[in-house]
Amino acid sequence: MTAKKRERLDVIRDILNTIRESRQIKPTRLLYASNLSPQMFKEYINELLEKKFLKLDIDNKDKKSFSLTKKGQDFLMEYRVIENFIENFGL
Amino acid sequence: MNIASLIMEYKWILEICYALIISSICMVIVIKTDKFFKLSLHQGIRYFRNAFFFYGIAFIGRYIFGLFSDMNWQSALVIGFLFEYFLIMAGFFLLYSLIYKKIESPKEQHLTSLMNSKIIVFHVMAIILAILDQIFKGYSFMFFSQMIIFACASYIAYKNFKKNSKKEFPKFYFLATIIGFVAWSLNFAVALYLHWNQGILINIGMMNIVFFLLFLYGVLKVTQK
Repeated sequence: MTAKKRERLDVIRDILNTIRESRQIKPTRLLYASNLSPQMFKEYINELLEKKFLKLDIDNKDKKSFSLTKKGQDFLMEYRVIENFIENFGL
Repeated sequence: MNIASLIMEYKWILEICYALIISSICMVIVIKTDKFFKLSLHQGIRYFRNAFFFYGIAFIGRYIFGLFSDMNWQSALVIGFLFEYFLIMAGFFLLYSLIYKKIESPKEQHLTSLMNSKIIVFHVMAIILAILDQIFKGYSFMFFSQMIIFACASYIAYKNFKKNSKKEFPKFYFLATIIGFVAWSLNFAVALYLHWNQGILINIGMMNIVFFLLFLYGVLKVTQK
């Protein structure tokens, strides 16, 4: 038996949820938690940065971490509604 | 003066009200779904939104601009063509929102949903059908194409309803597509065999309003937090 392939929206929700739970998370840890290939991970992260759902913070020791923006938090709240909409309308 | 003659005398007012009701419903649906599309970039929501955007334009154009412009034969031809084109495209978008997953690959991203390699086929078909109706001075090609679209949409909506029977809206979606199919079939019959019977046309208009209200209900209900 194979697990159901995650839809694009589910992947985004998982990434954002992981960041929210950790508040700030290093790219490598997020990559492991997301369960994506490095290439796919990069594509999703770039998209989420572009859409301003998350931001990349760089501290004075040049260490990188991701955190959620207000828009990202709003999206997580809207996610349930959007998911419900897609299922109800068979989209 | 009886009700029938009263209705006939003030038909233009009824037509404006009808257009305003339907285009307002479409506007609400487009605004609501556009917000969701911008948040999720979900292609299905995008095509669904486009369907109601095109319905809205079609009804505004046909009734409002049609009533206030001087209706010489050239403007009547252009308005008739545009009305049919937008209406046919709306039907295509509605059907495509249900089947795009089987046609597009998940990685496929288009800059615009109004014109891409798949949608261009619909544009060409809609233009051909609208031109054919202008040439033959009727609506048969549009009516027949919409009957096919809504027959397919009803079948898919029925399958979705069976699959998601615990969800609230799939049964209403199915009902809406059936109403759409019946309304287009009646339109076809009225145009071809019943000499544009006004009584039946009013009933078709009511059915169309119910069709749009069902979608509005679904969008408002499902997106309620």
